[in-house]
Amino acid sequence: MSSKPSLPRFAVLQLSGCAGCEVSLLNASEWVEQYQLVYMPLVVSTHAVPKDTEILLVSGGVRNDEDIWNLRRSAQIAKKVVAVGTCAISGGVANLGDRDEVRQMFMAQANRHHLPHLLPKSQPIDAFVDVDLYLPGCPPTPELFMAALTGPEDFEASSIVCQECGRKKLKDMRPKHLLGFQQGEVLPDICLINQGYLCVGSSTRGGCRAICTRPGHPCVGCRGPSDAYIEKESQVWFDRVQSVFERLTDIPPEEINEALHSPQLSLFLFQFTDYMNGNRPARPKEKIL
Amino acid sequence: MTTLRFPLSRIEGHARVEMEVLDGKVVSAQFQAIEMRGFRYFMLGTPAEQMPVIVPRICGVCSTAHHVASVKALEDIFEVEPPQLANDIRELLLLGQLIQNQATSLFIFTMPDRVGASSIFHMDESEADPEQQLSLAQRALKVRQMGTKLITLAGGQFIHPIKAVVGGVTSGIKKEPAEQMLAELQEILPIACTLFDEYWEMSMAMRERIGTWGDDQPAYYIASTGRNRPAFNSQEIRVLGPNGTERASFPPRLFRNYLSYEETEYSYAGQSSYEGQVMRANSLARINLALAMGTPLADGYMQKLNQSFGKPAHPILLFDLCRGIELVYAFERAIEMLSNDLDYEDTAVPYSVKDGEGFGLVEAPRGPLIHHYKVKDGLIEDAEFIIPTTHNMLAIERALKVAGERYVSPQGINLELEKAVGRVVRAFDPCIACATQ
Ligand code: SF4
Ligand code: SF4
Repeated sequence: MSSKPSLPRFAVLQLSGCAGCEVSLLNASEWVEQYQLVYMPLVVSTHAVPKDTEILLVSGGVRNDEDIWNLRRSAQIAKKVVAVGTCAISGGVANLGDRDEVRQMFMAQANRHHLPHLLPKSQPIDAFVDVDLYLPGCPPTPELFMAALTGPEDFEASSIVCQECGRKKLKDMRPKHLLGFQQGEVLPDICLINQGYLCVGSSTRGGCRAICTRPGHPCVGCRGPSDAYIEKESQVWFDRVQSVFERLTDIPPEEINEALHSPQLSLFLFQFTDYMNGNRPARPKEKIL
Repeated sequence: MTTLRFPLSRIEGHARVEMEVLDGKVVSAQFQAIEMRGFRYFMLGTPAEQMPVIVPRICGVCSTAHHVASVKALEDIFEVEPPQLANDIRELLLLGQLIQNQATSLFIFTMPDRVGASSIFHMDESEADPEQQLSLAQRALKVRQMGTKLITLAGGQFIHPIKAVVGGVTSGIKKEPAEQMLAELQEILPIACTLFDEYWEMSMAMRERIGTWGDDQPAYYIASTGRNRPAFNSQEIRVLGPNGTERASFPPRLFRNYLSYEETEYSYAGQSSYEGQVMRANSLARINLALAMGTPLADGYMQKLNQSFGKPAHPILLFDLCRGIELVYAFERAIEMLSNDLDYEDTAVPYSVKDGEGFGLVEAPRGPLIHHYKVKDGLIEDAEFIIPTTHNMLAIERALKVAGERYVSPQGINLELEKAVGRVVRAFDPCIACATQ
């Protein structure tokens, strides 16, 4: 690639995360011919984001003081900063530790004096730097990565996952309870809600091509709320999910409400909303892919 | 005393090496994991049944292994046995993980070391086979992608699988997608073999240049693979002595009787040992612990390795060659499995949530992985993750010290040292996201 100096330069900064976003990016192999990858410690031996970097993709949450330092330094170099995945957008799975008792244990038992210091909680990157584009997903699909790199303006997606899913919502197949984790055979072509699954695809933003629901796994909302709800607080989104279930099922609202607040879903559902004591402004929908 | 600090790249996660040098001698070598998220803390209080969906996020590279280990730990607690078909599909899922991981480690992490490039995307193509239409990077990514595709087919989602559930898996694999996958694997297998042959050649050339395959002494080996052929959806852990005799085999429930674990002040990852001895996990351990691979091409490569280096083989850079053997094996074995009917019975049995303590074991690409949970009132009361990379920590540090001694002398420090540090660490393919969680 040193032989292709005219190609646009992009860098990938990995903060505290699981590297799943990077793994997904590696699957989007088309960028190899279109971009010059100048920094990505997972695959390239270079130790800093170089000058003239056009796009900086940041994955992972801000979990320790070295993350803050790396983030600030790199963001200042790049022309455009993209927050990639749930961790960079909301702090991610590590936010399950956002409980006082857990935090205390953590700071007392886990911290090491001579290593980067752990912060009390995992923070989204826009708590420290300006973000030009948000790319939600856990992880975003290779197609979404390519769109973020080549032209977010031209990316075509449905507003919600349901429209990409293609399963049919029936009026006369009304479950009385959620199925929970004991799954039976999933019927093809019929909406998972009709089958008693807690699918939140009806208010989750499209663009993933419904990779979970089409083979029969309920959407957990990893792409966050659709444009209609993204600038609102989480309760509005909850109410919307509730109303879909009321229309299609006879499941008691309390049961849905409890399930929506379970850890597994709260990993994703609250990105962009006021989950984290929300003293930050809402992210504008124009900036979200 | 001088402290040398080496930042690391082309490994999973954030780590560095610190070496202390006094009067031209290496006094210590530390492998420091410098990140941590804290899963073992924040999993407390989680409804037990949600673990299999949450724990893949420990690591996007090893997600599949965590997913299956988690389900197995819960099955141990709830006292359920999955049907055979579910076990087969889990094995297939783990093979997908193996392809993805070994291809990444071989071609993306370590191939650049063989030719002195900073990455596979920056390699001089004159090294590559001129007959090939595609660049090295494109071929490597193609091979790697087969792993992702297999994970998607057997696991539902492409990075963080969801299909393994307590009592089995959510569905079988229908004939048509199985045949399609099979055809693709057959098409890409020769590309994987050619790449591995090129890798082997490059490794020989590097051996000529640096004068060693890694000079560290023999060690103990730990793996949960099968005796006669590899197994990844495994049941017991085995330990091999440096001379090749088996020292122990035990179920995950008894691991504490054999392995000790220590935290250190200089790293967010701990380190484990077997009866106080240095041990090694990962590809070389598995190849040393299995009599054969059980598939034709992989067996050919295994024989070639054993003829050149004996069995057990010890040099560190052989970890990398063993990954190539396993890459070929995983293709062949997946082809074999997909040729059978994978949709012939119910794939899950019912269960009820119970309280108790359980252990789930799988052989992850980096070695035996155990999830150990205590469940009370249906919630996680304690979660412990016994990570393969911690089994290699002492071995990594010992090998780093040996490498240091090779390049540090009273006359000075040879610039090759920095490269040697990278080669040694990458041979063990440590995963820092897992080791620290
Ligand atoms: S609710 Fe879920 S299953 Fe139903 S149509 Fe929407 S995305 Fe598909
Ligand atoms: S279907 Fe839902 S959970 Fe799955 S990738 Fe799309 S947004 Fe994420």
